[in-house]
Amino acid sequence: MSKEAVITVDSLVKKYKDVTAVNGVSFTVNRGEVFSFVGPNGAGKTTTVEILVCLRDLTAGKATVLGFDVSSRKGQQQIRKRVGVLPQDFNTFDLLTVKENLNYYKKMYDIGLDINKLIKLVNLEDKTKTLYKNLSGGLKKRVAIAITLVNDPDIVFLDEPTTGLDPKARRDVWDLIAGLRDQGKTIFLTTHYMDEAEVLSDRVVIISYGKIIADGTPNELILKHGGKTTLIVEDGGKEAHEVLKKSFPKARLDNGDVLVPIHNKSDLPDAVMSLNENKAKFAELIVRRPNLEDVFLNLTGKKIVDGELN
Amino acid sequence: MKRIAAIIGGALRTWFRSKSTLFWTLAFPILLMLLFGAIFSVSEDPRFDFYVQNQDIVDGVPSPLSDTFVGMLNETGVLNLKMIDPVENTEDYIDENGVEMMIQIPEGFHQSCILQNATVVLKTVPPEVDTSAATVRGIVEQIVEIFNTITTGQNPPKVVTVQLESMGSEKYRFIDYFVPGLIGMTLMTTGIFGAVGWNTRNRELGILKKLATTPLSKLEWIVGVVLFELVMCAISTGIILAVGVLIFDLRVLPSIYSILLIVAGAITFPGMGMVIARFVKETDSADAAANAITFPMMFLSGSFFPLEMMPEFLREIAKVLPLTYLNNGLRDSMVYGNAQSALTNTAIVLIVGIAFIIIGSLITSWRQE
Repeated sequence: MSKEAVITVDSLVKKYKDVTAVNGVSFTVNRGEVFSFVGPNGAGKTTTVEILVCLRDLTAGKATVLGFDVSSRKGQQQIRKRVGVLPQDFNTFDLLTVKENLNYYKKMYDIGLDINKLIKLVNLEDKTKTLYKNLSGGLKKRVAIAITLVNDPDIVFLDEPTTGLDPKARRDVWDLIAGLRDQGKTIFLTTHYMDEAEVLSDRVVIISYGKIIADGTPNELILKHGGKTTLIVEDGGKEAHEVLKKSFPKARLDNGDVLVPIHNKSDLPDAVMSLNENKAKFAELIVRRPNLEDVFLNLTGKKIVDGELN
Repeated sequence: MKRIAAIIGGALRTWFRSKSTLFWTLAFPILLMLLFGAIFSVSEDPRFDFYVQNQDIVDGVPSPLSDTFVGMLNETGVLNLKMIDPVENTEDYIDENGVEMMIQIPEGFHQSCILQNATVVLKTVPPEVDTSAATVRGIVEQIVEIFNTITTGQNPPKVVTVQLESMGSEKYRFIDYFVPGLIGMTLMTTGIFGAVGWNTRNRELGILKKLATTPLSKLEWIVGVVLFELVMCAISTGIILAVGVLIFDLRVLPSIYSILLIVAGAITFPGMGMVIARFVKETDSADAAANAITFPMMFLSGSFFPLEMMPEFLREIAKVLPLTYLNNGLRDSMVYGNAQSALTNTAIVLIVGIAFIIIGSLITSWRQE
């Protein structure tokens, strides 16, 4: 079955006076997939989303959502009815309860989901009468995601949904997004967390300085740009390094650990055997697969720390 | 309509649950009224301002009996006598000086006393409007009784009779003047602070951005906010009037014109707030901006004292402030019963209000820039 493109972006450009925030970006998003737009702060992620949900005008290029042109007034009206958007840093009315907040936004649409079912979906059954201001950060985010779903949207846009959350709350939001994916929702996720994109996405586009630098499934990107699997000999020191260098010339010492690139299946047992035979001392052996962080590092030469390039 | 109702409903719930907003909307005007009402009740001179026009002048001096009569009025100690020139046009003088109570001793009073058919004319505002008038009428009638006794002995026929006349009620008590101004001030502060605060806070929380991604239009949002403020204004006005009637025996009550004016004011100031909110990004700045607009307007528009007390250049400034026309209109309709002037002021406030709503609609940022 051929994939149905629900978002098409072609040579999209957005300029603010003399700053180009988005510079000739092209991609498509297919129905039912979790699509992640990944990059550091200021890369152009939010600007792209805001153009797609009709909050901003584009400078050049073309974009369609569900077949409607984002630049046409009629298209914008149709898009607003059929997408759900969680803006970055969104908070809702402090002094309304969870249920009142959901009802408020539901009334903005002609059709919508049953609020009680929605509350059940986000596991907030025991908080329906709690004021929004009295919820924890994680629960507030769940309410925000529920608000995004009130109109049973065809596409859900989640702009940095886990920024500022503690690890547990982040995992809860991941579970929620995974649940939506299982229901067949198309999800457009922006994030600067590489692990989040890797866990949740069917497809990842990496953007840096307004330009797309990689596009593919997480595995494709890792295989193509992530580098090799590495054996880490923790606290091996010079002794282990000397031993391993004989068989693995590219082994290197990094802060007391020895890092050995694994090129083929026999490399790993060979390295372990060498260490044993020479009675080299070490704390632990760790095998680390490359991930999207490595992909970004290899493509840009920089890491993303707390959303910023480092 | 469903969307506008949702906006009003959400805002009402939020308002009702916010203690500080409740205080500023409801308790503050009441406190202000209690405070001002109490201050002006206590500081009121216990003596009554009482104007006397003695027209019985002979050879440039008051006739002996008219002079005796005025002396007796003065000796009561409760009447603060203010003499009007005998040739002064009485009606003009009353209008120009806001005279509430006066007595006119006509030419030939002395001679008429001798003939036992003298009359003095006592003019006061209706006693049902101001209880002071009833008190003063009683005092003057007592003085006339004593005067009759002194001049003719026991069981006399009436030498002097009092002819009572009621005047227009141009001079009301302070509270009657104050309440329309307080209503005007409340409409202004509720409207401006409400619209500026609500927009700025919701923009800061990302609510406006979220709503802009739904089918809700900018116009629906503005209409919802203005209608919510209208409800607020109706509640505030109702409470002010109720407290005024119950505690201060307020006699001025809204007419159809004042209701129209209240609606016009309730549209004008949220519209003005929408315009201000366009230029304010943070909640803190919103309060400062709203204060900067409302505070001077409160004092320059005659909310608490007549514009005539202000210097000429301030009166010129007052002419461009919508609150001036709202206050004037409310007093015209509630106090002076001047329908024509009230209608003119209503029209001015309504036109300004519609202009602000249109400008606010045009410049309020809905999509991102």
